[in-house]
Amino acid sequence: MSTEIFESAADAILKGDSDKAVETAKKGLGEGLDPVMLINEGFIPGINKVGDMFGSGKLFLPELILAAAAMQNATDIINEAIPEGEGQSRGRFLIGTVEGDVHDIGKTIVVSLMKANGFEVMDLGRDVSTDRFIEAADKFNADIIGTSALLTTTMEGQRRLEVELKKAGLKERFKTMVGGAPVTQRWAKRIGADAFAENASEAVKLAKALLETA
Amino acid sequence: MGMHIAHIMASCMGGIRTSGDLVAWMQMTRKMRIHEAKAYVAEKLGVGIIDLTDEEIMRDIRKNLGIGTVTSIAGGPKGIRAKCKIADLLGINIRSVSLFKSQMGFPG
Amino acid sequence: MSNDIVTRMGDGERVQLSAGEIREDIQTGTADAAQRAGVPELTAQEQERLFDIISDPSRIVSVNPGEEVIVTDDGCSMSFYSGQDGAGVGVPLSRMQAVLTYERACGADTTSLGHSDYSYKPVKPIINFEANDYYNTSMMTTAPFFYGAQPNLGLYFQPDGPCPNAAELMPMGKIDEARRAQEEAAGHLAKDLVFVGSRLADVGLEGLNFDTSGSAGDADFMAALQAVAELKRKVPDLPILMGASGEFVLGMHGEVEYEGTRLAGLYPQGQVKVIETAGADIAGVAINTATTESLPWNLSRAVTFVKAASGASNIPVHANVGMGVCGIPMMEQPPIDSVTRVSKALVQLGKADGL
Repeated sequence: MSTEIFESAADAILKGDSDKAVETAKKGLGEGLDPVMLINEGFIPGINKVGDMFGSGKLFLPELILAAAAMQNATDIINEAIPEGEGQSRGRFLIGTVEGDVHDIGKTIVVSLMKANGFEVMDLGRDVSTDRFIEAADKFNADIIGTSALLTTTMEGQRRLEVELKKAGLKERFKTMVGGAPVTQRWAKRIGADAFAENASEAVKLAKALLETA
Repeated sequence: MGMHIAHIMASCMGGIRTSGDLVAWMQMTRKMRIHEAKAYVAEKLGVGIIDLTDEEIMRDIRKNLGIGTVTSIAGGPKGIRAKCKIADLLGINIRSVSLFKSQMGFPG
Repeated sequence: MSNDIVTRMGDGERVQLSAGEIREDIQTGTADAAQRAGVPELTAQEQERLFDIISDPSRIVSVNPGEEVIVTDDGCSMSFYSGQDGAGVGVPLSRMQAVLTYERACGADTTSLGHSDYSYKPVKPIINFEANDYYNTSMMTTAPFFYGAQPNLGLYFQPDGPCPNAAELMPMGKIDEARRAQEEAAGHLAKDLVFVGSRLADVGLEGLNFDTSGSAGDADFMAALQAVAELKRKVPDLPILMGASGEFVLGMHGEVEYEGTRLAGLYPQGQVKVIETAGADIAGVAINTATTESLPWNLSRAVTFVKAASGASNIPVHANVGMGVCGIPMMEQPPIDSVTRVSKALVQLGKADGL
């Protein structure tokens, strides 16, 4: 029976069907399934598949948004069933496009997938100054600061953030993740960022890994 | 910049050094694939396809036809004057040439 | 196993791989492309030829005499005088001097002019300046001389443009509103593309390049297709090159169609067909370079996509070989060893009609 529910959960996410996702979550809990298992073996594989399909052009942004919303609705119900202190919030993720850069399409996709995977997300938008990143991360109590840059000239904003975090003695408090078309693993290493994500699905995997090792 | 030059050295026909501009015109004005465009230009010039990128052969052809040479020959046609001849040679419409001719009152 | 073949990663880093590792990357690269796009993998013989190109010990490789193709450019003349943003070398040349230097010193098959912003929208208010520069330069050039820029739908969304910002509406779940905003923006974009193309056509435009079409998604791609078709109706003899921006059209809208073909998710072999249907004369394809994979993997993948596109097309197919595209490493100064290997492989194995 649990297999059937897991499949139904994944299918609901894949179809972006919020009603079905909620119904499946309630049904699973009603049948006594472990809430954590219900998320990890039912809904998460569904949203992972959505990410993979988006990454290969088999599914598009509106469907991804619907899937993310269905995921959010289902996990809200399941989280209520998880005893205090054992909730499934993956962590707090702050994101923005660096100063001087007004590109935000890629960032939008990252935001959706992060939310769908249980992260609390604060999106600062585009053209965000280094000071604003740090100030907002402090207030939001972020676990990870993600920065996006689409130009070789604005990538410097990612380096500036690392420098300013170190100066302020905050580098150990926040993990940093960089992305954007011209950004590479080597760039991340050179500036001292904790991770580089090639795409939105990768960003989710890396964010999870960063917080597991934190 | 270096990247463009590297591509030109590795795989480009060579522009007005050879016959790259002529073959490009055929792709642009007749949607010809590369082999068809080369065959068309080779036939118009009376040379083999392999000769189209041979500087030693194309230099003389371009000079004799007055269609522009890469080194600057004093008084040799270049620019719009060379393009007028290229349009006639290839039997194509080059839009800048048509405009120029109409402005000068030349027949189209 | 010896590690004696020097190659690159997708971010340009030099690495040494064994012959076995390179062959394995070539195999997995072509398999990835084939699986994604639903096209055939490179044959064993083609993979072996690709291996030979990649493992050639020479620093620079090239096609054989007689195999050369046409190289069109994406604002290359700007690289003479622009700065880092345009991968420029900052030589103090005028636009005309740069174009003529590219034609005559570099032996370029075609040259081009473009606005520094490299988008069409900002050209609109300065169209007379552009038309004047284009006309004056076209009197001096001998090789085909394009005007080129990117459609760039993003400039039509607030705060840069008049339409509600789809990238903000989508995450709020306002899907219908986001789609409407994209449709409205696409209407503005198509109109501007036609306006700029028509005005330049009046001064003898030899060729128009819609470079990197679809960078803001399927509605962006649709607007470019519509503009091509409209320009071909208005100015039938205007040659148009329309290039794509990625290996599949990003579905930011998801439902827009062109002549009955859904554009979202369209891979190169489908992209060239709609470009052809719109009436363009040359189709450009662009394959993303993965920075964490090797040159053999990226190039094998690019060749597989390009070969499929070339096989499907009736018009010339040019592969985009700028930084971070079609196997070219993603870095500001792509290494020449990689650049020439990409060049050779896309022509010999990808059957590109041009680059």
